[in-house]
Amino acid sequence: MMLVYGLLFGIGFGFFVQRAGLCFAQGLSALFMGKGRRILTMWFLILIVTTIGFVMLGLKPVGQVRGAGFFNLLSGALFGAGIILSGGCVLGTLRQLGEGNMLYLIVFVSMIPGMFLQVKILDPVLKGLYAIQELNLAQVLPLHPLTIAGVICGIAAFGLVTVNRKEKRG
Amino acid sequence: MKKLFSTYWLMAVCFALLNVLMYFSIKKFWIGGSSFLPLIGVLGPEKKFLFAFVVNLGVIIGAFLGALSFGEFKLRLPAGKNIWKAVLGGFLIGMGVTMAPGTCTTAFVTGIPMLSVASFLSAAGIFIGAFVVYSFLVKDGGAQ
Repeated sequence: MMLVYGLLFGIGFGFFVQRAGLCFAQGLSALFMGKGRRILTMWFLILIVTTIGFVMLGLKPVGQVRGAGFFNLLSGALFGAGIILSGGCVLGTLRQLGEGNMLYLIVFVSMIPGMFLQVKILDPVLKGLYAIQELNLAQVLPLHPLTIAGVICGIAAFGLVTVNRKEKRG
Repeated sequence: MKKLFSTYWLMAVCFALLNVLMYFSIKKFWIGGSSFLPLIGVLGPEKKFLFAFVVNLGVIIGAFLGALSFGEFKLRLPAGKNIWKAVLGGFLIGMGVTMAPGTCTTAFVTGIPMLSVASFLSAAGIFIGAFVVYSFLVKDGGAQ
């Protein structure tokens, strides 16, 4: 039954992502070209809504800090390089596939050897260096989660106003 | 109605609200990279990656329905010159999403809102990696 709920939520996510044209790869490229208003507007709004919702409902661990953050930076850099090369983040790749762009089927299939190399070959070698931690900011800063969420939402709201005001004046 | 469903910022808000609703109703949220681990036979504790995989199958279906409903679906075959970028990009994405869980689009739409330290670090790495490739390949027209 849970899988059915998952599929239904996924269909909803896919519909909204398609209508929004959301893709962080294309958004980052636009941002680097100085045309980031659209992606920043979407991201700031997503950040505000989701941060308020998640903090009110209770935080849950997402991701792992590995190697005191070194592997997070490295994995992020690999992912960032990959999405700019391929032209699609995870949501963007799935969206483009749904829209009929078969280039993203190649991207999707090409993830498999990358995951295999990492999980089956590199992870067993590197796991001694991982020192896995599941941390959220409320555990490392002497602040209440609501305070941290407030600061994040405040910065996002300021950014939202700024990018849209700047565009209008320009 | 078409204008309403083409208001990009409103659709982004709907995406975020749906993520919160999912967390409220079934205590799960959207994740990206780890959802593909079932493709190499890793289902995760309590089959949570399998669940995420099904969610993302739904994303493809939802995007298809959205595109079809508004006349935006178009079957496009890849141009030969773009295939190497798709293959190499996909390979790097595959490595990146599994080297440290929480990396990928998840960091932006779920991890940072959950105040995850891993996601803040991953997001910093994503900017660095993206900027390097953009500077060397895309900016000068080498890859686009």
